[in-house]
Amino acid sequence: MNAVELSLTVGVASTLISLPFAVAMAVYLERTRSRVRHAVQTIIMLPLVLPPVVVGYLLLEVFSPIGPLGRALARLGVPVAFHWLGAVTAAAVVGFPLFVLMIALALKAVDPRFERVSRSLGVSPWKTFWRVTLPLTWPGILAGAAVAFARGLGEFGATIIVAGRIPGETQTIPLQIYAELDAPGGERRIVGLVLTSCAACLVLVALSRVLDTWYRRRLELDR
Amino acid sequence: MKLDVEARVVRPGGFDLDAAISCEAPTVGIVGPSGSGKSTLLDAIAGIEPGARVVLDGDDVSRKPLHHRWVGYVTQDALLFPHLSVRANLLFSPRAGPLGEVPAALGIERLLDRMPRNLSGGERRRVALARAILSRPRLLLLDEPFAGLDEARRREAMSLLASLRERFRLPVILVSHVAEEIIGLAEWAVRLEAGRVVRAGPSASVLRAGETRIDNYLTGTVVGERRVRVDGVDLAAGIPSSASGEVRLACYAADIILAREPPRAISARNCFQAVVRSLTEAEEMIIVEVEPPRLRAVVTPEALRELAITPGSPVVVIAKATAFAHVGAA
Repeated sequence: MNAVELSLTVGVASTLISLPFAVAMAVYLERTRSRVRHAVQTIIMLPLVLPPVVVGYLLLEVFSPIGPLGRALARLGVPVAFHWLGAVTAAAVVGFPLFVLMIALALKAVDPRFERVSRSLGVSPWKTFWRVTLPLTWPGILAGAAVAFARGLGEFGATIIVAGRIPGETQTIPLQIYAELDAPGGERRIVGLVLTSCAACLVLVALSRVLDTWYRRRLELDR
Repeated sequence: MKLDVEARVVRPGGFDLDAAISCEAPTVGIVGPSGSGKSTLLDAIAGIEPGARVVLDGDDVSRKPLHHRWVGYVTQDALLFPHLSVRANLLFSPRAGPLGEVPAALGIERLLDRMPRNLSGGERRRVALARAILSRPRLLLLDEPFAGLDEARRREAMSLLASLRERFRLPVILVSHVAEEIIGLAEWAVRLEAGRVVRAGPSASVLRAGETRIDNYLTGTVVGERRVRVDGVDLAAGIPSSASGEVRLACYAADIILAREPPRAISARNCFQAVVRSLTEAEEMIIVEVEPPRLRAVVTPEALRELAITPGSPVVVIAKATAFAHVGAA
């Protein structure tokens, strides 16, 4: 795959893999009264404040062939370190805090009385989540996915540590731009890559805004 | 419905609710000023506020979560699910059967394919009530269902609720800060102040001095121009000349006059014999319930003595035609 194809693949894969975990974590933080949720929230937010290279190093410790998870995954035939899956992992981890934050904000905006009414009508809390809470949270999930995708698309520090810079294998757009800086004629290729990144992010942001506005208008969520 | 509730709720900021109710009545009212704990008590009965002991018709539901209590909870905000059509809202409950007569009873048949955002406030409340009824609850909990309505809409809504209660045989617990709303609909009432029950008993007995705008709700059949038959008694009523079939009427208790004998040459068009069913003492007034038809009148203790009104005694009921206001089709 070329850098653009690889970046888009990594972005989509990391967003889809993170989605259920981000939703679950947002629900845990916003809808439970767990005493340790503030501590959990602090840990979840770490990739947002740590230097990406530090995040990458920590991921490498865990997912390298001799790391605790890397060893187990290697036995299952799933390599992570120095593989495009490592780029997916890095993108998912660095985008996760923002993904969770956006969904949590959307959850906070859902009137909990809707859930109460649903339960009064005989619907269990689990089914209430699927039939009421989740549909009303879609704008936040879409916005979070867009932000997580964009963050993953632009990830450099963690990606280069975990996945390395293997052309055609793990060299995403940011890594390719870095490689082209010293290459003869690289400036022209950099411009192309930069424009592609900007275009992808612009389309994503515009799409999520359009969907968000349409959905809110449909549900009159701003009433 | 037999209701036994003991609720103790402590909130940060100093408010605490410590209330016990024990009664048997089809409709129970909870009245009190804002902040008295009415909604908290209702939440405790529903199971939203944990820790209350709640026994409904002998069934202890204290440990049951809300979705297993079979209570229909309706708030003044309607809270229709905005992503579902009216029809999908009505059929949301897994216990809901076919729509049947419920949409027609609430006048929402033409709204079934609309989205909640395209409904008026009154329409949303009626859909919310229909949704609760369709979930086949053992008990309806209504939290300030008439708040924000003008006088005419309020009377219409209260009359509708009175007829629905009879039609679907639903026990109701009704919360309001307006005592007259409670008295108009509930047989038993509890008055709360600062989280405590200050009075409980037959609904008229919790009234305070000045709370006299009690409404009577009647359902009858149009038998002539501006004439409605209610419980075998023909009443002159303020209904449109085009009205026909079954209609709902409302009449303030203060507009009912009682006499020992029929007056001669009076402008009031309604003058008929009835029997006193019960007397309830409230602050500085007596609520006299007569039948047929079943009506409440408000009299002073002096009038009661002078007229020698006692339960079972005959009495003449006098009211103007305009006292019986038309509030909708039945």
